[in-house]
Amino acid sequence: MSAVLEEILSGGVRLAAPLLLASAGELVSERAGVLNLSVEGMMLTGAFAGAAGAMVTGSAVAGVACALVAGLLVALIQAILSVTLRADQIVTGITANALALGATTYGARLLFTDGSSLEGFAALPIPVLSEIPLIGPALFEQTALGYLAFAVAAALAFGLSRRFTWGLAIDAVGEDTLTADRCGLPVRLIRYAAVLLTGATAGLAGADLALAEVHAFSDNITGGVGYLAVVAVIAGRWRAWPTVLACLFFGVAQALQFAAPAVGLHVPAPLLVTIPYVIALLAVSGLVGRSRAPSGLTVPFARTA
Amino acid sequence: MIALEIAGLSKTYGSVRALDGVDLTVEAGTVHCVLGENGAGKSTLCHAVGGSLTPSAGSMSLFGTRYAPRRPKEAIAAGVAMVHQHFSLVSTLTVAENLRLLRVGGLAARLERLADRYGLAVPLDETVGDLPLGVRQRVEIVKALLREPRLLVLDEPTGVLGPAEVDALLTTCRRIADDGGAVVLVTHKLGEVARVADVATVLRGGKVAGSGLTDLSADNLIPLMIGRPADDLAPVLAGTLGLSEVVVRDERAIDQAPVLSLRDISVTRPGGGYLLENVDLDIAPGEIVGVAGVEGNGQTELIHVLSGALVPDAGTVELAGEDLTRATPARRTAAGLGVVPEDRHHEGCVPELDVATNLYLGRLGEYRRFHVLLDKKAMRSAATAVIEKHGISAPGPAAPMSALSGGNQQKVVLARELALDPLVCLAAAQPTRGLDVGAVDAVLGRIRAAAAAGAAVLVVSSELGELLALCDRVVVAYRGKLSEAIVAAAPGAHDKIAHLMIGATA
Amino acid sequence: MIAAVRHPVFVGAVAAIVAACAGLLLAAGAGTSPAVAVDALVEGMTGTPYAIGSSLNTAAVLALIAAGFTVAYRAGLVNVGGEGQLCVGGVTGAAAGLALPQGVPGWIGVPVVLIAGFAGGAAWASIAGLLKAKRGTSEVITTLLLNFVGAGVLALAVHEEALLRQPVTSAETLPQSAPLPPGARLPLIGSIESPATLIVVLAVAAALIVALVLRHTPTGLRLTAVGHSPAASARLGLGVARLEVGGLAVAGGLAGAAGACLVATAPYVLAEHFSSGYGFTGLVVGLLARGSLTAVLAIALLFGLLTNGGINLQLAAGVPAASVQVVQSLLVLLIAASMIWTRKGAR
Repeated sequence: MSAVLEEILSGGVRLAAPLLLASAGELVSERAGVLNLSVEGMMLTGAFAGAAGAMVTGSAVAGVACALVAGLLVALIQAILSVTLRADQIVTGITANALALGATTYGARLLFTDGSSLEGFAALPIPVLSEIPLIGPALFEQTALGYLAFAVAAALAFGLSRRFTWGLAIDAVGEDTLTADRCGLPVRLIRYAAVLLTGATAGLAGADLALAEVHAFSDNITGGVGYLAVVAVIAGRWRAWPTVLACLFFGVAQALQFAAPAVGLHVPAPLLVTIPYVIALLAVSGLVGRSRAPSGLTVPFARTA
Repeated sequence: MIALEIAGLSKTYGSVRALDGVDLTVEAGTVHCVLGENGAGKSTLCHAVGGSLTPSAGSMSLFGTRYAPRRPKEAIAAGVAMVHQHFSLVSTLTVAENLRLLRVGGLAARLERLADRYGLAVPLDETVGDLPLGVRQRVEIVKALLREPRLLVLDEPTGVLGPAEVDALLTTCRRIADDGGAVVLVTHKLGEVARVADVATVLRGGKVAGSGLTDLSADNLIPLMIGRPADDLAPVLAGTLGLSEVVVRDERAIDQAPVLSLRDISVTRPGGGYLLENVDLDIAPGEIVGVAGVEGNGQTELIHVLSGALVPDAGTVELAGEDLTRATPARRTAAGLGVVPEDRHHEGCVPELDVATNLYLGRLGEYRRFHVLLDKKAMRSAATAVIEKHGISAPGPAAPMSALSGGNQQKVVLARELALDPLVCLAAAQPTRGLDVGAVDAVLGRIRAAAAAGAAVLVVSSELGELLALCDRVVVAYRGKLSEAIVAAAPGAHDKIAHLMIGATA
Repeated sequence: MIAAVRHPVFVGAVAAIVAACAGLLLAAGAGTSPAVAVDALVEGMTGTPYAIGSSLNTAAVLALIAAGFTVAYRAGLVNVGGEGQLCVGGVTGAAAGLALPQGVPGWIGVPVVLIAGFAGGAAWASIAGLLKAKRGTSEVITTLLLNFVGAGVLALAVHEEALLRQPVTSAETLPQSAPLPPGARLPLIGSIESPATLIVVLAVAAALIVALVLRHTPTGLRLTAVGHSPAASARLGLGVARLEVGGLAVAGGLAGAAGACLVATAPYVLAEHFSSGYGFTGLVVGLLARGSLTAVLAIALLFGLLTNGGINLQLAAGVPAASVQVVQSLLVLLIAASMIWTRKGAR
């Protein structure tokens, strides 16, 4: 039994790694008032570029660099559209995802024709620590990208704290752009930075999927993990540590799908898949605790007096 | 030394000239008042100085160097601080967090200095959204002074303040000027100008109507502001303009039984405490009762309890014997309770829709064709009649409300509420706020006429003078409670009310 | 001159040309000459009665969702939940259709399926509507989340025999429902070779009715008022909560009806991915149309044509269908990006 539990935990944490990365960036972006639904597209493009880069260069690290740049590129498009051109964030987000899906599928037709496995990342168990029963394998037997995910999530959760001026500035921009502007804060710059940060972390998340999880690129490899990252932010009620917790929990819920049959438990998979969204729904509707989205979420900034 | 020099400043929006060749010279060490009615261009001028908008023409210089801020950040860097009419504080952050957003070094020391020099202490750990408006205003001023600006611009800062707070603010302005700073105080209240200004400039219709004025008497300033002699002013307008001598209406005997009765109304605050506490109020037909008080002492909630936007936690609202405590707004309207809300743009009307719709939105059922379709033609011709009857200046019934001036919007709202048949009671919150003098005259005239026709009238206003001139009795709201009624014509009523407004027992 | 350059139709045309050029480049990248690609695309859009019919069917699904979106949008609500409402409407429509006897006549079967789909979608959207009206929860977020829950409901329905899955007889039994009885299937309209069904008529009728209601009835004006200012509308005696929930329910209902139509179209089964993402595309159609029902029909038609043209592009010319998805999203992004420009022109 404890072996199964251990497997669920370690599988859950592994599955949570891309979520942690993507939702860390998404959280910053939403706190700054930009709803990046395109995080899905950023991840997908990142996964594609990561796989392509690793294939062409034969180096997984080069693949990660490509993924980072690709995520940033999609983010730049999103930022230009939603910050500078003040286009509707929902339309541009969903459409950027469709664009990413179309472009990567098209690219995969031309590029990945032999279906061979890629150079990727292997797990790097930390001696002694990974021997701890139950949580050892979950926490200390990750790939390099997995450890990076922990670090990024922790750094962002810490950095968003209102003890720091930048944490305050991000919140001010997300709550009320006009006020932030009158305080002399560079509103557009902050929003650009937040969206680009999401691009970077989502690109890494994509690389994690393609290079550390699957070791290949397949059409729509993300399959909604990006949306799940947005959902984790909502379920975490736009606060850092609860979002991290939500990601871990969602990862475990996913791992349960694979582990449940092993212990002879028949839980219909669709029910498990749906759990995160139901939790987020309960959280956002205030049925579980109090929740409030940043007031300026999806509101474009224009200095009209 | 010249702190700010503005030459030929213009700003056009399409065909509208909000500012038209404005010149202004502000000396360091002085308080310079910029006066004007609503729509005179005062706020546009402030935004231009503060970097929120780019002027269409003209130039500015600050302490002798060219000054052309393209964004607020540049204005701040140049040493210009703004105190905006609408607060620019993030309401979900604490006071300390809002101040830290300014990124000035040695925050604690600077705050201490401000507290010492000007008596400006602020509650650092409170969330801004929970603070009374007067305290928020103080935070706003602290925020402006933190960076030790060379020029301080205040845009209508006293609108939400009580008499004592206004005194403190004016004293602060004076001290800053005495310390060598330059202060521009933008206002429409003549009383403040006389008390604090060294020099005044009057704007009218986007142009300078008078500059370098040192004779700050009302007789001198009013004609410049409104473009006609002061003698024309109805006595009540003196109250609206913040003049000290106010003519109070004669005492009248009210002998009828009350028709509107509030009994023991309480509304609790989400975080604990009361927004309204055990409020009782009776108004008889033909009587005008005023609610005075510094904003944020429960007046907004009182009107919401009457309009149906808020159900009180305890107590009852009765109109002519009918219990309306939990009635829908539609039911209240049918019972003859008209409400002119405080926030005209948010609650009073739908600015994007046309005048006819705003007049008849609650009665669309009366304008139908073939049972299901809307008879726009009939609606618009009915609206045209109302526009003529109430002297509303509008391009027509199909013009959007947003195309009308504030005064004409208010006339539309008032016309709609006065059209109730029967009109048993009218409750009006801040009915003259932001209106020009002519519109104030018209609106107050209509309210008086409604009372004369037998309606019970409740007026909420932060302009004490206006209430004294308009009302039979005045009650004072303070921290969610209403004081005993004070007969407006009684000797010493003004001072008594002013005391109650700051919580002193009269 | 500047006004002409800023006209939405002109801007749309420029966007279309740019997107089309990108499409030709993609085709060339896949080793197909522009002429061959264009031929295959046009063939797939309108080349045969079959092509026209299936393009119209797709367009009709999108138009139904977008027409519903427009109703809620008028009340100030952005319904991001078309996809979930489509799924749930498909499930309820299929459940109702499968409950009917095999010999049910069409004049009973078809309305039953459509009404069940409408009811399912409306109920699903009402969850978000009630949360908005009672608790003030942003409908953007709740409808977004309900999409995924709706997809879960669909997956559960087609995977569980206790629900709608066809009897499992072998390991190859697909996770989908049994086919609907003939009387519950949407009748074909037009010629024998065309797959166009009654949904095309329904979509046009829905758009006309929505346009009429929004523009010429008291209800339409009330929705508009609520959309601009809920507070003022409440003060003036309108039932704001009722209008908001109602507007969102109609949006969900039309999406649900579209889902039921998809199930009642060949191959007449409820399967896991029957929605094909139409819920999201319908939302984009609705947002781009900006409240105009004429625009809803025109954009839905364009998207329907492109989708079916893209399928043929892959079949006939060997260009990945994904390239049409790229072209379509580029077009939308360009139009969304240019709105700041066309809005200025309108002023």
